Amino acid sequence: MNSKSETDEASRGSEASSSKNPAPNSSEEEPTTSLCSGAVTSRTEDIMKRAAARQLIERYFYQLLDGCGNPNCDNQYCASSGEARNLSPNEAAAEAIKLFYKEARLCDTLPNKVPRTEASGCDSSAGTTCNTSKDKDDNKDKEAQPSSNARESTSKEEEPQTSHNVSHQEESKSRSHNNGAPLTEERMYELCEECLQNKVREPLIRALGEAFTQPAILARCFASKAAANSDEDVKMKDDKESKAMCLSSDPDKDVDSVAGPELDVASCRRAFQYLAKVPSEYYSSALVTSLKTLADNMCIDLRITKKMSIEDVVNCFVIAFEVPDLGCSDYLEIALPALCQAAEHLPLKGKARLARIWAQHCKDSLRHILETLQQLITLRVISTNYTRQFQLQDDEVVTMATKFMKIVYYANMLAGSMESNTLREEPIVIASQQDPFENVLDLYPPSSMKASKQLQPDDPLAIELDINVLDARKPYLPFEEFYNEPLSDTIEMDIDFGNYKTEINKGKKFAFLRYPFILTVATKSLGLYYENRIRMYSERRVSLLHAVVGAAPPMPFLRLKVRRTHIIDDALVGLEMVAMERALDLKKQLVVEFEGEQGVDEGGVSKEFFQLIVEEIFNPDYGMFTHRPDSQTVWFNMTSFETEAQFTLIGIVLGLAIYNNVILAVNFPMVVYRKLMGKKGSFEDLADWNPILYNGLKDMLDYTGEDLEEVYYQTFRIWYTDVFGNAVFHDLKEDGDNIFVTQENKREFVEMYADFLLNESVETQFKAFRRGFLMVTDESPLAALFRPEEVEMLVCGSKNLDFSELEKSTEYDGGYTAESQTIKDFWSVVHSLSLDDKRKLLEFTTGSDRVPVGGLSHLKLVIARNGPDCDRLPTAHTCFNVLLLPEYETKDKLQDRLMKAISYSKGFGLL
Amino acid sequence: MAATRRLQKELNDIRQSGLKSFRDIQVDESNILTWQGLIVPDNPPYNKGAFRIEINFPAEYPFKPPKISFKTKIYHPNIDEKGQVCLPIISAENWKPATKTDQVIQALVALVNDPEPEHPLRAELAEEFLKDRKKFTKNAEEFTKKHSEKRPTD
Repeated sequence: MNSKSETDEASRGSEASSSKNPAPNSSEEEPTTSLCSGAVTSRTEDIMKRAAARQLIERYFYQLLDGCGNPNCDNQYCASSGEARNLSPNEAAAEAIKLFYKEARLCDTLPNKVPRTEASGCDSSAGTTCNTSKDKDDNKDKEAQPSSNARESTSKEEEPQTSHNVSHQEESKSRSHNNGAPLTEERMYELCEECLQNKVREPLIRALGEAFTQPAILARCFASKAAANSDEDVKMKDDKESKAMCLSSDPDKDVDSVAGPELDVASCRRAFQYLAKVPSEYYSSALVTSLKTLADNMCIDLRITKKMSIEDVVNCFVIAFEVPDLGCSDYLEIALPALCQAAEHLPLKGKARLARIWAQHCKDSLRHILETLQQLITLRVISTNYTRQFQLQDDEVVTMATKFMKIVYYANMLAGSMESNTLREEPIVIASQQDPFENVLDLYPPSSMKASKQLQPDDPLAIELDINVLDARKPYLPFEEFYNEPLSDTIEMDIDFGNYKTEINKGKKFAFLRYPFILTVATKSLGLYYENRIRMYSERRVSLLHAVVGAAPPMPFLRLKVRRTHIIDDALVGLEMVAMERALDLKKQLVVEFEGEQGVDEGGVSKEFFQLIVEEIFNPDYGMFTHRPDSQTVWFNMTSFETEAQFTLIGIVLGLAIYNNVILAVNFPMVVYRKLMGKKGSFEDLADWNPILYNGLKDMLDYTGEDLEEVYYQTFRIWYTDVFGNAVFHDLKEDGDNIFVTQENKREFVEMYADFLLNESVETQFKAFRRGFLMVTDESPLAALFRPEEVEMLVCGSKNLDFSELEKSTEYDGGYTAESQTIKDFWSVVHSLSLDDKRKLLEFTTGSDRVPVGGLSHLKLVIARNGPDCDRLPTAHTCFNVLLLPEYETKDKLQDRLMKAISYSKGFGLL
Repeated sequence: MAATRRLQKELNDIRQSGLKSFRDIQVDESNILTWQGLIVPDNPPYNKGAFRIEINFPAEYPFKPPKISFKTKIYHPNIDEKGQVCLPIISAENWKPATKTDQVIQALVALVNDPEPEHPLRAELAEEFLKDRKKFTKNAEEFTKKHSEKRPTD
């Protein structure tokens, strides 16, 4: 940054600070400061500048999100003007930084927010009567009436609170504040009304301050009567059970212990609704300070004094996170990090309890909680310069928020629909004696990686909650909302990976890979890439060692030599040999050689190898897989004549593709990936396996008439078509043709039907397939880092083909720039190509027509100048994604040459 | 080969009910998944003939819908030259497993009697149907005479 902009920034910074909190640094930019000794000045100046810049960015941020509040605002960067488009908090944060550098227009003041809701008509009597009336119960009845709409019928039942009665006498003496009594919904209402009417904020602030600074008091706020509460619980539980898809007993068995008898979340939420009617500047800073103190107090209690029960502490967290959006930056910067820090000291049971309460009672708040956490992380990540000395992993604000987000992550799964955790594929043990392929293994002394072959231990919180991400059929919020892109882009994966690996032994260093939900697939796949490469090098080293000792011939790579005409046979025979004799070799780097071709495999040749082999294996004529036109997917041929070994080999190929970072053009339904990760197929998986069948069965499930038996006339004998087009039947139960499907057993019927189609009928084939897959990937952290949908993305790449994204990320070499005429011509030709030709072009330059994980911008295409105008065709180095383009004179010629090149692209030759 | 109970029952019910507009139902006992029968329309220009159709049931019936095709050529905006017909009631999106085959056939007969030119399979016939009804009727009658099967006499 040059000196001019620095001074600019400083002055802009001071402008920001003087308008917000004038006291500390108003005199900062005055020349007198230069009297201080140089080093100190520059340091403090630095800090001051940073702080100022940050404040300015925040102002942009809130201006973008909430607007300045001026209804006549004409600033295009302000939400109040109506011209700024609706941004998500993450986008707004990024935009704010841009605006800061652009020095875009800031609205003059950030005035007091316009209250979101006008104080409604109920302010007539309640506020005044409560000060004069002596008979409290009587008074409460009166107040209850105006607000009864909002509270519905509950208000009457809640009225005589036990806790309230205790404090009754004190309260009637002095009603201006609470004297240590917990807040209730009614009290909050009174306070808010009073505040709105008299424009006096002190009583409200005092009450809030009192309640929110002391965990012991806050824990008993918004308490509910036991009876009313348990009623609600039963309702909730019913609700949940009806939604739950599994037949087996309720997954969260200790529901009763979860339903905290003390806290009534609904009441708490209503109380905060009243509060939201009061202009937030009346109380927000006080509340933030209180929350910060609260967090500190909880921290102390959790770490040292341990006076409070876990239930009480958890209640505090629940209430604290019900606090509505305060719309001030201090909340994000001060209160939230403190709360995250306090939460870190919660014992495991406490965290689990928090997740359960959130899942059961606070579904609606989950999004808000997640969004604020994301905002905190995003803001922090993009406003901090991380260095080797101060890495992202050392930034406690970010790491604690990430840890805290894990609780939200689990709560989100619990709040959605979960399946029974009994539907598991049988574990397959690789490298054991029972393994038919690996009897030669004993000859090999354990390699260095074998020694550290401990699989990632499961997350203790997941165990405590007894959930597995595989069972989360439909989380309440989509999993994608947990990705934090700025974080994923900023993270230094090599460092994180190092931390991840050392953590196994020491557990000291923070690694985001332990919190994979926050990382995008592209970032995680980089982590997997490191893991795989390290393993490859390690296997290579070991084999060299063997060579020196003379124990085995040197075999540093997994070398495959195939004939283009017999690619499947050669590959299968080659891999079968390896699998039988030296299964460990599968974990070496793959090197493919096509017989009679000069291509040296730096990645490109094996890419083409995978492409070709997949094309053939999944060809229906080959007979191992069937193509299913209903869903455009392939499935195991349940009447296949191929041997198990061949399915094992396909599994190996799939594993090798992931292991060697190659994208395959396979189109498995999602259930295959779920099954690979260890979860059996279930009814819901039919939805993308065979949508028509799924809809038909769903229709039957939704049918409520008692005449289901006559209408459907369906028995437990089901029919399907085999590869030859014959209808074949299968009895789901013994004598299935005489057992009719009824209202009572229809659920059982569809589950058994799905189980047969997805598991039983292809069991041998799939088991062999999975075994092959695991032979390559069993030691990799694949399962720990990726959900099944993400594994699909790893295997197939993402599905859209955005060439303008590619254009933006393409680099040029050999004399070309983005401005060169040939390059301009090239892109205009490319953009006009058909989708099919675009795919061909992709295949030509990268060896695969699929999009890499993270989109085309992750392709790192390089276009290099290959001499002046001539008649040669364009060429490509597929392993490095380099396209060599002669500087053709005209656009027509370029188009002609390019089309020729991509149309005859198979085969490796040196031109 | 035994068959799905549901299909066997539907076949028996249809045969017993004696539908006027759907006759001569032939089912190969070895494959109950394929039915043939004669559609006998009441409305001109199709009331001079009968049309053979084939109903193909998938193995997963009734959870997947059947498919219908015309074996007799017909001059109709909603039925193409190959005999394929687009019937909403058995489309993948609308299919309800509780729907019985006789309901499907009734829907088909209704479509034959009253073409729906708004959703044509043969756009040129739909246009003719809308713009020059006389010509359409004449063409359709001639076509019916030439290609259709004899109507059952009883």
